[in-house]
Amino acid sequence: MRAFFSILWKDLLIEFRTKDIIYPMALFSLVLLVIFSFAFLQDPKKAIDYGPGIVWVCVLFSSTVGQNRLFDKERENNCLSALLLCPCKPYTIFLAKVMMHLILASLVQLFSIPLILVFFDLSLVDSLSFVASLVLGNIGLAIIGTLFASMLTNSKMKEVLLPLVTYPLVIPLLVAGVKVSAIALGAPIFEDVNPWLRFMLGFDLFAGLLAFLLFERMIRQ
Amino acid sequence: MKLSLDNVDMSISIVSMCLLPTALILVFFYAPVEATLGASHKIFYLHVSSAISMMVCFGLCGMSGLIFLLLSARQKKAKQVFDCVGVACAEMGIVLGAVVLTTGPLWAKKAWGTFWTWEPRLTLSLVVFLLFLGYVALRSFAGSDAFAKGVASGLAVLAMPLLYFIHFAVERWGGAHPQVVFKGGLVEPKMVLTFIFTLAAVVFTSTALVLARFRIERIRNKMDEVFLALDDMQNTEV
Repeated sequence: MRAFFSILWKDLLIEFRTKDIIYPMALFSLVLLVIFSFAFLQDPKKAIDYGPGIVWVCVLFSSTVGQNRLFDKERENNCLSALLLCPCKPYTIFLAKVMMHLILASLVQLFSIPLILVFFDLSLVDSLSFVASLVLGNIGLAIIGTLFASMLTNSKMKEVLLPLVTYPLVIPLLVAGVKVSAIALGAPIFEDVNPWLRFMLGFDLFAGLLAFLLFERMIRQ
Repeated sequence: MKLSLDNVDMSISIVSMCLLPTALILVFFYAPVEATLGASHKIFYLHVSSAISMMVCFGLCGMSGLIFLLLSARQKKAKQVFDCVGVACAEMGIVLGAVVLTTGPLWAKKAWGTFWTWEPRLTLSLVVFLLFLGYVALRSFAGSDAFAKGVASGLAVLAMPLLYFIHFAVERWGGAHPQVVFKGGLVEPKMVLTFIFTLAAVVFTSTALVLARFRIERIRNKMDEVFLALDDMQNTEV
């Protein structure tokens, strides 16, 4: 537990001083937003059709940007190997990195999602389930993304390979997330949000368990 | 004749070389034309057989990935074998997937009037296909060898159970799309015979190709070892 906090603290401290993950993530979300408004918004009345999708594409893309950089610092001087030598279980490192990514992604989304709501003139009908879907979605994205980002740290084509591998795996989260946010933003869909939220929770738990079991075996290869 | 992998592969290849033309002849000249769909349904013989073989290939790839990860580093030989099985199956699965995803839309254009709908079964096959494209891309581009193998196996293992979630999601997402009528008309004995022949042809051909790919990968591994050993020798001499 102490190892978890010290790794997390180390990462947060470096990030606080350099800000080289959070800036790209936030700026990328912002640019993406502007691009989306040109790409999709012909008729402002239809914003509700695209809004949930835009929210989730923003979340997904900015988290990929973050994950590409999450292990960058461990690459220099082969720090990842040093980190693995720590007297703690490898999954502690994994959990600390997932937590780190979650913190960064939440900070970025605290900034980008209100902007989406403002730019596209969307209003929240059910803010609780909206936030719940974002939290659950981010946890799932963080688990799967961090698992593969950690493995691909030393690969030259990491930027391309990471989305190639993770996007098909997170489709369920995206489907459920878009559905819940559409309902929460007041789209005329007559469905209950709870089964979808439960589905996301199940996905997160399951992905977490699998990642927990696989991480050590994969990184030891 | 000694029963080696080469001979097994050779005999399977010969069998599949006989089966494939027979299956084609059966499909085109023997199988009756279906009443509602017309001649276009004949593409199903190849489509369904390829789809079944594809799923088997991907299943095998996932299982060999799991065994690869479970074996300890000391069992190097066994690890290598399962790793080779994984690559061979994944690549064959991609070829079969390409067949499935080409023949399917061709039929759909005729029957449904559109090449593609986001119907759950189609979406799922596409996602599976993408996942294993990712697997092969990882194997080819992910840098150092041992690492790439670990990551790719991890992906294959992770993909299997997560497919259940993907299936559920796309099914709910697709909403009230009609389910494809699957083998509903397969009662006519002539059709059954043709289908069995085509399935056998595809299965045998895939097995032959998987074995060939497996052998290539084994040889490549051996070459790598030889090169490493040579390197070591030269280094110690200096």
